[in-house]
Amino acid sequence: MRRTGGRAGAAWTARVAAVLVTAAVLAACGSGDSDDETSGDGGSTTVSLWHFYNTPDTPTGAALQNLLDRYEEEHEGVTIEPRHIPYADFARTLLQAAAGGDLPDIALINAFTTQSMAEAGVIQDLSDRVEDWGEQDAYFETSWNTTQGDGSTYGIPHVADAYAVYYNEAMFAEAGLEPPTTWAEMQDVATQLATGDRYGLAFSGIEGDEGATALIIRMLAAGADPSDIDSPEGVAALTQFSDMIAAGAVSNGVLTWTEEDAKNQFANGQAAMMINSATYVSVLAEEYPELQWNVALLPSDAEASTFLSAENLTISATSENADAAWDIITWMQEPDVLAEYLPERNKLAARDDVDTGDDPIRAVFAEQLQHAWAPEGTLAAASSEVFTHIQSAMQAAVSGAASPEDALADAQAKIDEALANVE
Amino acid sequence: MTQTETRDAAVAPPRSGRGGLRGRAPGRWTGYLFVVPAVVFVVATVLYPLIFNIDLSFRDVGVAQIVAGDAEWVGWENYADQLGRDEFWHALVTSLLYTGLAVAFAFALGMALAVYFNQRFPGRNVMRSLLLLAWILPTVVSANVWRWMLDGSYGLLNTLLDAAGLVDGDIFWLARPVPALFAVVFATAWSFTPFIMILLLAGLQGIPDTLYEAATIDGAGAWRRFVSVTMPLMRPVNLTALLLCFIYTFKTFDTVFLMTRGGPGEATMVLPIYAYNEAFEFFRFDTGAVATTLMLVVPLGLSVLYFRYLRKEETA
Repeated sequence: MRRTGGRAGAAWTARVAAVLVTAAVLAACGSGDSDDETSGDGGSTTVSLWHFYNTPDTPTGAALQNLLDRYEEEHEGVTIEPRHIPYADFARTLLQAAAGGDLPDIALINAFTTQSMAEAGVIQDLSDRVEDWGEQDAYFETSWNTTQGDGSTYGIPHVADAYAVYYNEAMFAEAGLEPPTTWAEMQDVATQLATGDRYGLAFSGIEGDEGATALIIRMLAAGADPSDIDSPEGVAALTQFSDMIAAGAVSNGVLTWTEEDAKNQFANGQAAMMINSATYVSVLAEEYPELQWNVALLPSDAEASTFLSAENLTISATSENADAAWDIITWMQEPDVLAEYLPERNKLAARDDVDTGDDPIRAVFAEQLQHAWAPEGTLAAASSEVFTHIQSAMQAAVSGAASPEDALADAQAKIDEALANVE
Repeated sequence: MTQTETRDAAVAPPRSGRGGLRGRAPGRWTGYLFVVPAVVFVVATVLYPLIFNIDLSFRDVGVAQIVAGDAEWVGWENYADQLGRDEFWHALVTSLLYTGLAVAFAFALGMALAVYFNQRFPGRNVMRSLLLLAWILPTVVSANVWRWMLDGSYGLLNTLLDAAGLVDGDIFWLARPVPALFAVVFATAWSFTPFIMILLLAGLQGIPDTLYEAATIDGAGAWRRFVSVTMPLMRPVNLTALLLCFIYTFKTFDTVFLMTRGGPGEATMVLPIYAYNEAFEFFRFDTGAVATTLMLVVPLGLSVLYFRYLRKEETA
């Protein structure tokens, strides 16, 4: 009995081992790489491009698709295969693709992530190509700086955007007010315009880095450095935001609003002003024809800075079509191409030699862009985390969980740790 | 018909017995071959990611290492880092609080509904099916509906309270720490209640009516019957339902992420969202892996306690 049991046991183990080996073999069969994406057939080239500008059936996605179609028409033998990945998943998907050795040729990335993507080895050094190209001096300094890492150039700017103040002209005329030029005036004007169901000012303050933009703009105006917020200037900025929310000039709901939500509040007349980027210019014009609105420069105090929103065109480290990719991204930056593309895309040129007409609203955004701020160096590499902590400080102060001083001191400790992690 | 079956049954045993001597080994092998797809599936989708994740948690993995694929082994360093972080402990406490409250609400409501639906009345099946909608509704739908209902400026809850004269002005429920936590708790409990109800209902239907009849004859009222007959007999079913609900809730990511993203501040920062932020927002894949590995410990510990209890019940 015992002997049989031992033999059966051994046989059983052998069988289990065999099953596992079979499983491993089958699994190995499944992971064979197929290299069928880059090289096209006979003389033609296929270049893949990943972006987060939405699908072609949306206004932003359509503008990009039209641009790519135009390139294909003018360049025989080149096919561009665009792929849309939602913004929230973009950086993660790109890193996963890099780890899996399956990167696209061109990646249109958030400008602030350029440096960390370069450090990760996801995108390639374009310094030599840029040197031969020789157009780097046409770009605004803030925008061009986002392409730099360790003295090399890792991308070229695609578009730029800046935050400014949208205001409801009818409400301002009715109250006999002018757009504010300082933050003290902003508080005053927003308080006066808040009546009944209406708030004075709307912006996005949602959980995460997206919701930090407005407070960063306010801090920049006070002269605070977003990596050093535990300062008298930082406290002044946050205290004013808390006060405006406590007084009802700004809705407590900003803590739950995305930029899209802020736009809806403004479009529906529930907010007299909003801080937002040029992205919504044509949406407001086309979908809300009744709304009387205009755009003003952000209020300024010590500084007149706005927050840069930008994307860079990069070529992946493993691209086999780097020459074709370089031709595409530089073509996309030709002034006459941009002149047609940018108004459709509701964005601004990152360079100063593009004529996009004399639309007064675009002119305000273009002027605002001259004073754009963007994180650099270690702050750029840790920007997502640092901005998240700045939003947390706002949340804590606004909800009354902590005083502005304590909220900022707490956030500063986390920011210091995040910056130290990068170095 | 009956005859044929009987004949087959009578013939079958000797045939298999005879064939067993010669074809035994190939027969067994064929059997194991059928198991291969299941084993491949489990190895590829459960075992491999689990081991990969644990391996990741012992290495120094940032953005550069995940791309190059050459992470350095650092031993327990990542664990020491996480266990020393206030944010991690806050996320763990929030997770336990969120899960505990959600399970308590879902169980209480599920039990009440199960007892209710255990009676016979017209329209019972229709109503029961309708209730199940909450369970089968995709979370992306239900969580967004909750988010809209709780919005301060156009939300249903505010409009109702305003109409009843209970509140004045806009209250942004999801922008305040305590209401936000209770909001995600209720949303989760709401979707789990029908699942609990179905489990408990199956248990209730297994209790013989004679016991209730006997209790009634002994003079027990409805509450007494529930406490002294229903609850003791339901104990194994209750435990299973509680454990399953706890595990499902403890790992819930979608409801909380869609409603609050872990906010406001860190008020609803449960462990799954904390781990997601570590790995995919801040690209610290190593500490993200630590958080998910530690996340396994709580349900695993509960499962061990549960199985030990079951064994004791069986031997008793």
